[in-house]
Amino acid sequence: MIRISESGVRSTVQDRGRFGHLRSGVPPSGAADPHALAAANALVGNSADAAGIEIIGTPFRFTCDDSRLVAVTGRDVSLATRTRLDGWGSVFVRAGQMVTVHSGERTRFAYLALSGGIATPAVLGSRATYLPAGLGAPLRAGDTLPLGEADAGPEDAGRLIAPTTYDGRARAMAGPHDDRFEAGALERFFAATYVIDAASDRQGTRLGGAPIASPASELQSCGVVAGAVQVPRGGAPIVLLADHQTTGGYPVIATVIAVDLGKVAQRMPGESLRFYRVERDEALDALRAERRALDGVRISA
Amino acid sequence: MKPRVVPFGEGALLVELADEFQENVVGWARAIADNWETVLAFGPAVPAYTTALLRFDPLRLAPAEAERAAAELLARGEFITRAGNGPPRVIQVPTTYDGPDLADTAEGSQLSVDQLVALHAGREYTAYFLGFLPGFAYCGRLDPRIVAPRLARPRERVPAGSVAVADGQTAVYPLTSPGGWRLIGRTDLAMFDAGAAEPVRIRAGDRLRFVPR
Repeated sequence: MIRISESGVRSTVQDRGRFGHLRSGVPPSGAADPHALAAANALVGNSADAAGIEIIGTPFRFTCDDSRLVAVTGRDVSLATRTRLDGWGSVFVRAGQMVTVHSGERTRFAYLALSGGIATPAVLGSRATYLPAGLGAPLRAGDTLPLGEADAGPEDAGRLIAPTTYDGRARAMAGPHDDRFEAGALERFFAATYVIDAASDRQGTRLGGAPIASPASELQSCGVVAGAVQVPRGGAPIVLLADHQTTGGYPVIATVIAVDLGKVAQRMPGESLRFYRVERDEALDALRAERRALDGVRISA
Repeated sequence: MKPRVVPFGEGALLVELADEFQENVVGWARAIADNWETVLAFGPAVPAYTTALLRFDPLRLAPAEAERAAAELLARGEFITRAGNGPPRVIQVPTTYDGPDLADTAEGSQLSVDQLVALHAGREYTAYFLGFLPGFAYCGRLDPRIVAPRLARPRERVPAGSVAVADGQTAVYPLTSPGGWRLIGRTDLAMFDAGAAEPVRIRAGDRLRFVPR
């Protein structure tokens, strides 16, 4: 059991997402910065589908009923027990020991993983919280959540994984609708510097900057994925994130590669964001490198 | 357009079948999605009016392989074997026609309210696909005499159970949410229940009838 004594501004249980009901219109949800949650899970020896806690606004404070490995990841995050430790490393925490997750001014999402994982009942095949449909609820001070079985000991602590460089650069593949835009639109998109709009949330990161002319012809709604860069009528792009609707009617000029979703999600309003074009092979290489890094740190149970 | 398969990021493909709505293309898109999801079992698929989004794990299935499989499904043409779903059902939706846009929509269609209700409730609709919200089924086609462009300014809050029309389509809002369709009525029939074995009331391919009460 984890006992939450301070819950931050909005904290939710998230896993890597709910992908079994997309065609029923149920959004994937899951971590907005999927790599950060995957890294936190790997650091404490959890499988890739384990659930952790996504924290918006700290401090987040808790104790556990038994000893656990704990890891915090995200942008500019740290963790305090008796001492303060940087994020992206695993820590052994004893039963009843108070742990505080801290974040900085530029942190949008912090991720907390505990060995064994959060063991709330899965709904529609996932533990991910999706608030608009009442799947899960925001965590509150006083909440307790069950944890899965884990037998990691102090000797498993101290593992590290290289933090994501949240530098405002995200890689993206062209399309699928790039050929519907006027000539030069794709090149201008990859040359532009965008500014994050305050209306950004878990559904999408909204961008301000030089608008992109949307295609003259209407598009039929189609299924979309996280990372899709939609261009609505006004020409201000939206990068879809975890809580995105399953279908969208706006043309998608480019798609952010999976490993860089967090580099988009973690940008704060007013910060800049640029996109760098990659081909599918480079996206795959990045995905393989991520997998190697996570497997390398994972504790063999 | 010529039907084609295009990458959608490294872990998905978009099969594009047509530029505009065609009754037969909807079933084709769904059949491709069904085959991908249940016969090939490569990953989740999302059919829509003219497209099928096909997802896969690119670390387990090379994207070039996925593309070959999608192209092969496409090449089977629109009479590709249907899979999944089972036979369509007819779903009755008890509807109170008292929506805030009912009078305006009737007027814009040069119909009386009674005529509009009779037209809306007077035919069976097909649920083409689900999207936008959990359990939101895009159904159609409306009688062409019902003229219902989307609202210029979407509402910030449309109550769950609202029966709505827009651009030849009709739907029930399963959850309270923002929305730009015209609200002509409401129903108590729950469209989404996360606790149920089958969380959505309407499956793509089902038939729908609105019953005034």
